[in-house]
Amino acid sequence: MRRLFCVLLLASGLVGCKPSSPTTTEPGEESGQQQKVTLALNWFPEAEHGGYYAALVNGHYREEGLDVEIQPGGPGVPVIQNVATGRVMFGIANADQVLVGRDKEADVVALLAPLQMSPRCIMVHEKSGIRRLQDLKNMTLAVGSGKAYLEYLKTKVSLENVKLVPYPGSIAMFLKNEDFGQQGYVFSEPFVASQKGGDPHVLMVSEIGFNPYTSLLITRGQTIKQQQELVAKMVRASARGWRDYLQNSTAVNEHIHKVNPEMDLASLAYGVEAIKPLCLPAELPAQQLGQMTLERWKTLADQLKEIDWIEPQFDPATAFQARFIDTGQQP
Amino acid sequence: MKKWYQQVGSVILPPVILFGIVLVLWHVLVEVNEVESYLVPLPGDVWNAAQGNFSQLGQATWNTALAAVSGFGLSLLIGTITAFVFSQSVLIRRSFYPYAIFLQTVPIVAIAPLVINWFGTGLQSVIVVTVVISLFPIITSVTVGLTSVDKGLRELFVLNQASRWQTLLKLRMPHAVPYLVTGARTSSGLAVVGAIVGEFFAGYGSDHYGLGYLILQTSAQLRTDMLFATILASALLGVIMFVVVTWIGFKVLARWTYALEQS
Repeated sequence: MRRLFCVLLLASGLVGCKPSSPTTTEPGEESGQQQKVTLALNWFPEAEHGGYYAALVNGHYREEGLDVEIQPGGPGVPVIQNVATGRVMFGIANADQVLVGRDKEADVVALLAPLQMSPRCIMVHEKSGIRRLQDLKNMTLAVGSGKAYLEYLKTKVSLENVKLVPYPGSIAMFLKNEDFGQQGYVFSEPFVASQKGGDPHVLMVSEIGFNPYTSLLITRGQTIKQQQELVAKMVRASARGWRDYLQNSTAVNEHIHKVNPEMDLASLAYGVEAIKPLCLPAELPAQQLGQMTLERWKTLADQLKEIDWIEPQFDPATAFQARFIDTGQQP
Repeated sequence: MKKWYQQVGSVILPPVILFGIVLVLWHVLVEVNEVESYLVPLPGDVWNAAQGNFSQLGQATWNTALAAVSGFGLSLLIGTITAFVFSQSVLIRRSFYPYAIFLQTVPIVAIAPLVINWFGTGLQSVIVVTVVISLFPIITSVTVGLTSVDKGLRELFVLNQASRWQTLLKLRMPHAVPYLVTGARTSSGLAVVGAIVGEFFAGYGSDHYGLGYLILQTSAQLRTDMLFATILASALLGVIMFVVVTWIGFKVLARWTYALEQS
């Protein structure tokens, strides 16, 4: 009898602990005044996502009536698939991933290109004397697998006696070995390396002409057709967020640090400074942040065709939709 | 007594027919639901991808097989020796056994970066990861085999004043052989898994890579048809290793004991 009583007590306790049921609104549905929207990141929250977090933290999404949930990503997160199947409404991806996805019938479309210049770089040791990508010889190079830039690089430079190994996800091996280089983003790994006492030297991959738009806002083609207003609001608010972030990033970086404690504030602060010239290269006025041109997309498509990553007859024109980007009042 | 082709037929035919049914269902479901190729490819597309990249697939399978077989062999060696030591000393067994369990339960994702730090990238690290994943079944099964000998038989040996070494060689080891075979069959499948997972972290040169690398590469390129082909090749490798180990196991059992088990 006592045993039965204990079991009942335990059961009632567990019932009391049941979490409150989540709201059952579908994505995009009105929930009061705000539409619920998900944005899936392609990596852990970092400076390259700063503008989107700024739009969240500074209330730009809220102003447009959007209740945005930013989902952090990580290694191997299938953003393209998740967006193409409608599992998330918006995502972040790079231009080469968008083209490869579309070539394989994944209906993803790019809406905004905050990073005009690709931050992809190869980090080598200062004392190695290597100053150009063509000089990468007689060393070990750590690169991620399945990266288009690498295949393109292989066609443009000899990589003589270069041993390719998997990207370790940290700079430990770089600090330990002298004949070592690794891939990275210009505002990330090199900074961490110099903080830890290393001597990094950065070689930008865009030097050989491979320069995909980075940190693109993408969505499903179907969403653009069926929910134009929503998409317009999302793009507007995100662009505002990015312009904010480049001017004043302190509060936003604190939020990013909160959601991703691995990123310390110093790295984020450095990240913003390094990202500014990538978002607004010399000729681009702030109002045109995120702009995309067919010419850039065509160049990238041709490069991907060169390395056999997309079919020769693929047409990149449908891969992006620039009409939601507010290019300012200039005639 | 069934004829040999009847016996082979009764074993081979059911899985082959099931495979055929699954293929047809797969094709029909993909067509009817209009599933995009990057999510689920048609069986025909997978076959074309495999054929079109046959040498690449074959080379990758060979490299992975090399790592898996080497790792498996090392596991057999290390596992058996460890089990011998465990069977001879209760104290050692009690001290080290929990750490052998640790080996089984620790996620390989956590160990792999350490392995690469210590052994460097390349085949040697892939083999180390393979051993870590496939070692435990050998240790447990052989230890049980060596220590669970019938009391009466052990007393018989004591009565005849057998030395510790003679007991080990003539009583415990033959008794442990069926257990070793069982453990080896489990371990061989794990060895393939270990090799592939090891390759995710530790292995590829620009021209020397295995199925693990190919899986990462094709999934990043959304080449799902080739990804499926690679996965099937991995499964096939696992099956082949299992069958070979089982067959060798039967031969060994036939020689060492009189108890032949039907699988």
